[in-house]
Amino acid sequence: MRQTYGKLLPGIKLSDLAGKLIVIEGTDGAGRTTQINLLKPWLEELGHAVLDTGMTRSPLAGEGIRRAKEGNNLGRVTQSLFYATDFVDRLENEIVPALRAGFIVLTDRYIYSLMARAMVRGMDGDWIRNIFGVALKPDAVFYMRIGINELLPRVIFSRGFDYWESGMDLFPGHNMYDSFCSYQAALLAEFDRLSTEYGFEVVDAVADVRTVFAQLKVKVLRVLERDTREEFVARQLAEVPDWSSRRKEPIPTSAAD
Amino acid sequence: MDINPGVRIGPFEVFLPLRGPTSSLKAREPREYPGRLFIVEGIDGSGKSTQLSLLHKWLEAKGYGVVFSEWNSSPLVKDTTKLGKKKKMLTPATFSLIHSTDFADRTERSILPLLNAGAIVLCDRYVYTAFARDVARGMDREWVRSLYGFAAKPTIAFYFRVPLETAISRLVGARDGFKYYEAGMDLELSDDPEESFRLFQGRIIEEYEKMIPEFGLTVIDATQPVETQQAHVRHLVRSHLDEAKHLRVRP
Repeated sequence: MRQTYGKLLPGIKLSDLAGKLIVIEGTDGAGRTTQINLLKPWLEELGHAVLDTGMTRSPLAGEGIRRAKEGNNLGRVTQSLFYATDFVDRLENEIVPALRAGFIVLTDRYIYSLMARAMVRGMDGDWIRNIFGVALKPDAVFYMRIGINELLPRVIFSRGFDYWESGMDLFPGHNMYDSFCSYQAALLAEFDRLSTEYGFEVVDAVADVRTVFAQLKVKVLRVLERDTREEFVARQLAEVPDWSSRRKEPIPTSAAD
Repeated sequence: MDINPGVRIGPFEVFLPLRGPTSSLKAREPREYPGRLFIVEGIDGSGKSTQLSLLHKWLEAKGYGVVFSEWNSSPLVKDTTKLGKKKKMLTPATFSLIHSTDFADRTERSILPLLNAGAIVLCDRYVYTAFARDVARGMDREWVRSLYGFAAKPTIAFYFRVPLETAISRLVGARDGFKYYEAGMDLELSDDPEESFRLFQGRIIEEYEKMIPEFGLTVIDATQPVETQQAHVRHLVRSHLDEAKHLRVRP
């Protein structure tokens, strides 16, 4: 049965959550969103109902976070908690209802990105783990791993440097390039650590889009097959005749014939 | 002070009071900041805000630099809280988290820097409000306490203890009806706002009572005359002002 990372929120019944929760993690520019945009129609074509969700998309806190980030004066603790509010709003109002309805939930980032960001900002590990102890354990976490050297050209030649993606709140006074390198390197190291702690499946995100997509498809199918195989086994077990009651019946012997 | 076993980069300092869950709130060692932090707690209608404003005027008159911070007032966060309340979007968990976000912003932006500057900070409601309300809403007691592990420990935390009926009689007529979340209407305890308020605030009082020994709250009998209560409060505050820095706002 589905589990949480420690605490169960009021109003959630774990045995009701029949769907699959698949997480795509990775740093900024790893190509997560591109892959989710490929995975969703593919899964729908296979006949699955899919919900996709991602950071700051909650109706409650999404807008508030965007506004708070504009001012560049969002503190570290405040930031962590604002994102946690956004996450829990989506967990309770999107993810849980979708899982209850048997959907495949594809989430662009999950608690791990939020934990990594908080940890590189010096937050207490136990503090952040406690907060996200209310999160559901996913069926799989695909971590799109990319090195800093491969990441740089993607960022520079697409959207350019962003204040928060460059960790400028951590390195005020640095130029954005230096800050970006230090911040993303720290995030990558933190992700690697989380990868071991939470058992991520690593996907090489340096490869081209099609190759990554092909790899992800195989991995997603494996998650879904695991499900049908379990169902199959459960059905087989249910059909097994009850030997204990049969034993009470007289055992036919060939001698009696 | 073990922060996390992860990677440490750059010269940034670690945010001061973030140590284990609630360790700073229950700490017995003397305060780590030169300022003073006095906070008031109690249910709606306990008269705590009146008492705090009288204390505020007295401290100012004595020449101290005093700053007041109210629950739920962060300029960065309060619009989100308002939206959630207006549209009734808040669950016990998001109610808890958005209030902790508001409190975090006030802590990072004003309460801690001011305490470090030696100011006297007065808070109308503090983390104990969250502990009482969130637990009354069904959140896990330890989870909520850990959530606020970054809070500074108050110099004195006053709890204005008042019987529920006294508080209700003060509130009736003083405002137009009971508000949805204040009355705990989201918990569907009763369809009648006053009855819901009674049941919800009753649970909150139970939580406050448990916190008195847990956090060493200073109990003030809020059924006494305003003047008697204020004299008691000033007497207790005075003993913590001996070495306080006089940040004179006015000459």
